[in-house]
Amino acid sequence: MNEFVADPGWGWWIIGYFFLGGIAAGAYFLATLIDLLGSSEDRPLARIGYVIALPLIVICGVFLTLDLHRPERFWHMLFKSEVVHDALTQGWPTTGAGWRTMAGAPLLKYWSPMSMGSWALTFFGLCAALSLVGSQWPGGKIERILRLSWFGKLIAVLGCVSGFFVAAYTGALLSATNQPIWSDTVWIAPVFLTSAASTGIAAMLLLMHRRKIAQGSLERLEKADIWVLALELLFFVLFLASIGAWLLPVLRSPHGLVLIVGTLLLGLLAPLAVHLRLGLIGRWETVAAVLVLVGGFMLRYGILTTPPAMLAHHSMTLAGFGPEDGRPRGGGAGADPANHPAGVKPPSKIDGTR
Amino acid sequence: MAENVGFYTDTTVCIGCKACQVACHQWNDLPSPDGKTRPLPVLSGDSYDNTLALSATNWRHVKFIEQFSADANRGQARWLMMSDVCKHCVNAPCLEVCPTGALLRTEFDTVYINEPACNGCRDCIAACPFGVIHMSPVKNVAQKCTFCYDRLKQGLTPACAQACPTQSIRFGPINQLRKQARDRVEQLHQQGEAGAYLYGEDNKILGGLNAFYLLVDKPEVYGLPSDPKLPSRSVPFSSFWGIFAAMLTALGALFAFRERTAQPAAPGREVRS
Repeated sequence: MNEFVADPGWGWWIIGYFFLGGIAAGAYFLATLIDLLGSSEDRPLARIGYVIALPLIVICGVFLTLDLHRPERFWHMLFKSEVVHDALTQGWPTTGAGWRTMAGAPLLKYWSPMSMGSWALTFFGLCAALSLVGSQWPGGKIERILRLSWFGKLIAVLGCVSGFFVAAYTGALLSATNQPIWSDTVWIAPVFLTSAASTGIAAMLLLMHRRKIAQGSLERLEKADIWVLALELLFFVLFLASIGAWLLPVLRSPHGLVLIVGTLLLGLLAPLAVHLRLGLIGRWETVAAVLVLVGGFMLRYGILTTPPAMLAHHSMTLAGFGPEDGRPRGGGAGADPANHPAGVKPPSKIDGTR
Repeated sequence: MAENVGFYTDTTVCIGCKACQVACHQWNDLPSPDGKTRPLPVLSGDSYDNTLALSATNWRHVKFIEQFSADANRGQARWLMMSDVCKHCVNAPCLEVCPTGALLRTEFDTVYINEPACNGCRDCIAACPFGVIHMSPVKNVAQKCTFCYDRLKQGLTPACAQACPTQSIRFGPINQLRKQARDRVEQLHQQGEAGAYLYGEDNKILGGLNAFYLLVDKPEVYGLPSDPKLPSRSVPFSSFWGIFAAMLTALGALFAFRERTAQPAAPGREVRS
């Protein structure tokens, strides 16, 4: 339990991204599963998933960019900026030297969830766009190429995997910090993933009202929803149990109210009760879908805002290289040997560059 | 390859003069907290400490810890003072998570933020177990102690260590500092200060801290975590449970949607028309 950290200040843009990105990923991977393994009767349902995924993931990209303190440098997430500048200086894209330098520009750190997530989000966006285009004209040539051919299936498989990744990596990202609560548990990733599925299904249920969907599809979607909500409930309880000494302080705070009333009662237990007791009667199913969405939002809000609130109540001041040293030079985990200075020139008063 | 260098801070000889903090401010041209000139100093009311913590504008911070017993005469009383700074960890959490490669390990084994590459995602702030990194309100990039990288390149001592009048902050090759520090602990033990120990001198904390401390109370008293961790430690477990949840979710969806379950609704079941 580390209470001496600073608050990264991830606020509304990130909460919005976690929520909408979850819906997009959930709707998309369900749609691809239906496309790959379901019946042709359910294809219109898959189309709804694609219709949801692309616009939301585009909005997510905008949110993430706006959250950066230097939004114009959003592309630094994917490419080493100094290498790109070098390549441009060498005449990229018209010179061979420029291309050779540019080949070293992509930056992927598989041990950093934010780095992996940036690539996954880009790839997911591409798959979502292709799948949406492929599903828009049923029976046409484009559908045959982008949806029904082996290429279409490949897009669906890769997109499905990247969708799952986008749904879960945000949880892994929070755990891969030193912030209290986030870093004390490894259960945020599965909670976010199952919540992505449940909110994705909820968004599909709401959009179905405007489209012709077979009643059988609706029944099957409801069945999947019950399963996913039950899973989310299980992982949410495991998450609460795993935060140990933080549980009571969290429950006593307003943020506990958000997580318990907002997520657990309204977002999980209430829609489960509706599905199990009332089935698809009248407007109850709409109510359940809205509750799931509210619960999904509260989950992101609660998890993102609780550690800074807990820290705000805490006052910090209460209370060689010879072989004999046994201390290696930086170079192990966390040292990232790829990040070498590479001619970095610090601005300095000495040479008048500052 | 340049020598590995470090700071060894002996808190028992710190007098709280804040010369290090001022020298750091001056050398690095750090602005006042909101980037503007304030007409009057802001008084915190917390001991003799008005800057309270490390920040984008205080890359050094002198902590004042007052320990007075509750009895009327304050029979037990002592001051602990400590000049806090980036620890330049051997296995640095900030460097590990940085998605832009803006955080670098220099040839001196220190950790440096290359400002032109930083896009302000703040992952390093979330990852740092010591609360060292903050966003600059002026440049909108993450900032922290540079270990006076520009001075090191010229063979100069970092400004804080240069300014320290009591040699509480010592700068030098890390192996020399470690020997000095161990000798000093030995000396203090012989003098009766049994609680003296080194924090971050060995490789137990994040592979070792290149800015390590001699302390006489628990780390938490100084606002230091006992057991900071590398962010990547949780990634395999998070990934495993994430994949597990994905498989269960996919399994449920498959059972619901697989082709042979595509049958008409069960009789008697009310469905929306």
